[in-house]
Amino acid sequence: MLLFMLLNVCTVGGSYFTQIELNMMTKSSDVVKNDIKNNLNPFNIFKTHKTSPLTLGLYSWNFGGGVQSYFLFLKFLVILNFVSFLLIGGFVLIPSIVFNSLGEPPKLESSGNCTIYEPNPQGLVVFYEYFLHLLSGTGFIEYSYMFYGYYDNTVVEDSSFSYNIPVAYLSTAVFYFAFCEYLLISRMGKATRVAVTTGGSDVSNYSLIVFTGWDFGCLGGKATKLKQRNIYYRLQVDLEEERLKKHAASLTMCKKVTLYSLRVLSFFVALGLVAAACYSIFEATKFSQDNSDKEGILGLIYEYLPSIVITAGNFLVPLLCDQLALLEKYSPSSTVIVALLRAVILRLASLCILLFTLWDQITCKGNQNDDECNECHYNYQEYPCWETRVGQEMYKLTLFDLLVNIALLVLVEFPRRMVVDNTSCKLSQWVGRQEFVVPSNVLGLVYGQTVVWTGALFCPLLPLLNTAKFVILFYCKKITLFYNCRPALRTFRSTSSSFFFLAVLLFGWIIALVVMIYSVAVMHPSQACGPFRSFDNMWQIVPNSTYYLPDVTKEFIFFIGSQAFSVPLSALSCVVMCYVIALASIHGRSVVMLKAQLKLVCLSFFFIYNQMFNSFSCLMQPICYP
Amino acid sequence: MGNKQTTFTKEQLEAYQDCTYFTRKEILRLHGRYRELAPHLVPLDYTNNPDIRVPPSLIVTMPELKENPFRDRIVETFSEDGQGNMSFNDFVDMFSALCETSPRELKTIYAFKIYDFNRDSFICKEDLQKTLNKLTKGELTPEEVALVCDKAIEEADLDADSKLSFADFENMISKAPDFLSNFHIRI
Repeated sequence: MLLFMLLNVCTVGGSYFTQIELNMMTKSSDVVKNDIKNNLNPFNIFKTHKTSPLTLGLYSWNFGGGVQSYFLFLKFLVILNFVSFLLIGGFVLIPSIVFNSLGEPPKLESSGNCTIYEPNPQGLVVFYEYFLHLLSGTGFIEYSYMFYGYYDNTVVEDSSFSYNIPVAYLSTAVFYFAFCEYLLISRMGKATRVAVTTGGSDVSNYSLIVFTGWDFGCLGGKATKLKQRNIYYRLQVDLEEERLKKHAASLTMCKKVTLYSLRVLSFFVALGLVAAACYSIFEATKFSQDNSDKEGILGLIYEYLPSIVITAGNFLVPLLCDQLALLEKYSPSSTVIVALLRAVILRLASLCILLFTLWDQITCKGNQNDDECNECHYNYQEYPCWETRVGQEMYKLTLFDLLVNIALLVLVEFPRRMVVDNTSCKLSQWVGRQEFVVPSNVLGLVYGQTVVWTGALFCPLLPLLNTAKFVILFYCKKITLFYNCRPALRTFRSTSSSFFFLAVLLFGWIIALVVMIYSVAVMHPSQACGPFRSFDNMWQIVPNSTYYLPDVTKEFIFFIGSQAFSVPLSALSCVVMCYVIALASIHGRSVVMLKAQLKLVCLSFFFIYNQMFNSFSCLMQPICYP
Repeated sequence: MGNKQTTFTKEQLEAYQDCTYFTRKEILRLHGRYRELAPHLVPLDYTNNPDIRVPPSLIVTMPELKENPFRDRIVETFSEDGQGNMSFNDFVDMFSALCETSPRELKTIYAFKIYDFNRDSFICKEDLQKTLNKLTKGELTPEEVALVCDKAIEEADLDADSKLSFADFENMISKAPDFLSNFHIRI
């Protein structure tokens, strides 16, 4: 029931987006501002509207305007996170709170080999330390509903009611991932479907720019000049590509070889830069973990060292790669794609390295026979409750991302605008106002969401935190856009970019899924804390619980898990996939054929028309001269 | 809401409402805007359908049209005499065709007429060049203009006669996602 309600909310939310997308694609900036102010209030998500199937079918969600699509993507993520929080809250948080208040609050063991865990600092805590604890996820927050360690392995069994918290925790996590995947794939499917039916709108660029580029609703001298320069730049991009194509075709063999070797060299240099960034993240994480017991502001900085290094890397490396791109001399659209790919790889690689370093530290490089990991199957001395530690790292990453964005807004963008507006020296005019760069902002969102997905298993309230973070980010970016930014002259033009960003988000989801599967199936849960403290791995709770099911259900579940079912199932899915791929290629080909047919029909129409006209006019004349 | 206005008779207002996409209030407001352009020329009382035409030089001073590079062509297209002298009917027709609720087919027809500078029912290369020059205010070099025009005709021309007929134009516009929202003047 709850699930149906959730799904309904999402479909309403999803279709609400498409309508707004379609109506708001490239209106003039004043209209956009008004529309955003009125319509994109996050709490207006339940407004109803009508969509025309014709409009939905013909239009594609392209990043032509760019900025509106960023805000729509952000709204999609807000709704995703909020619904996920409702899921987790309903099945894990609220039962835990209820059981803890009705029964005994969770208590920690104080004896035993691997079962001692003391998250709360001894003695009095200075007041400002509460703030430090809040920022670093330690202290009073560490042993609270925020992190994995506080949840108990409560199993409530009454005559009419039974609730198993560990099973609920695990199944909620699994369902959360499945739900996010469903939303993502349905959104990607929509984008692909439209791209296939319209055959991609790259085809008629020049004619579309000339005939539909001008916004007739443009008012005022400034908006008109802006629109003119926008059209000029769009045409220039296309003309530049033509010029480059001609130039590339006219290169001599020697020059071609130099160009290609330059490109290979810059590829390796970019790879080297990414590797250097990853290595510094590795070292920073190790240093931070080793020095995690320092107090005060210095301790806070050490805690945030991985986040700081990741953010610095994400800022510096693309900057350096942009300089490299000047050597490579790709066409403008290829340059954009290459830069995007590099930024994506950098962000996801930095997250992977962080997780790898943590794994390295927790499981003593995977070697269970190492001195430190021998007794408890994980490094108990350093990590009495390792899931909470991993959750804390993700918590810190999320928080730091938000703080950096707010800090940039307050310390860089507002002053920049004030300096540019109030001084008239050449330097400030040359620097100019901030431009809202859509791709890097969208990548930031994707990265933030991947972090949340990775950390959701270890920090159940992270989706709620992320919802709040994205709502704050929405308003911050809105303020920046209206007050600090000038409208972009060069619009980011790539029709498949919506699909690209969703694909990157899906890739982030896959990384988070791998982490979850590994933690659930392979890693030994902490024995000192959490709902899985008595098991060898988290998945073990599932077979254990099935013993309590009635026989028929047990046999059914065993059958589903056995090879007799899974092998035919995978064979069947392969067949279905092949069928769907064949169908898609047939549709694509039929679109091409229909277009050719359209041309033929027009030609034959004009031929027949001309014939008729000639014969008719001949009949009307007294004497006919052929 | 009583019939307090004396500009139009009830039948006239109903006729306007039927023929355009405007409501009663909007038509009265449009009349106010029309009168603003030439108060000495346009009477307040339109009940006997006076044959008054406002010259194009006054119409293009409207803020909605002032900055539009195609303002002369728009005014010429919607005027009955083709020179740009617009009666009130032409005026209302113009804003009705360009309003939000106007259908795509109507907008496509008028867009074609606007871009057809020499009024031969085809958009030929010269028409395209004039359109492009108006769009970019002469910032492109002549070679670039020629290249863009060639490419545009190549993309949209289906019957290979190196000019765009209405069918070609309509087909090309159907692929444009933002045509409806761009071809819209808010009044």
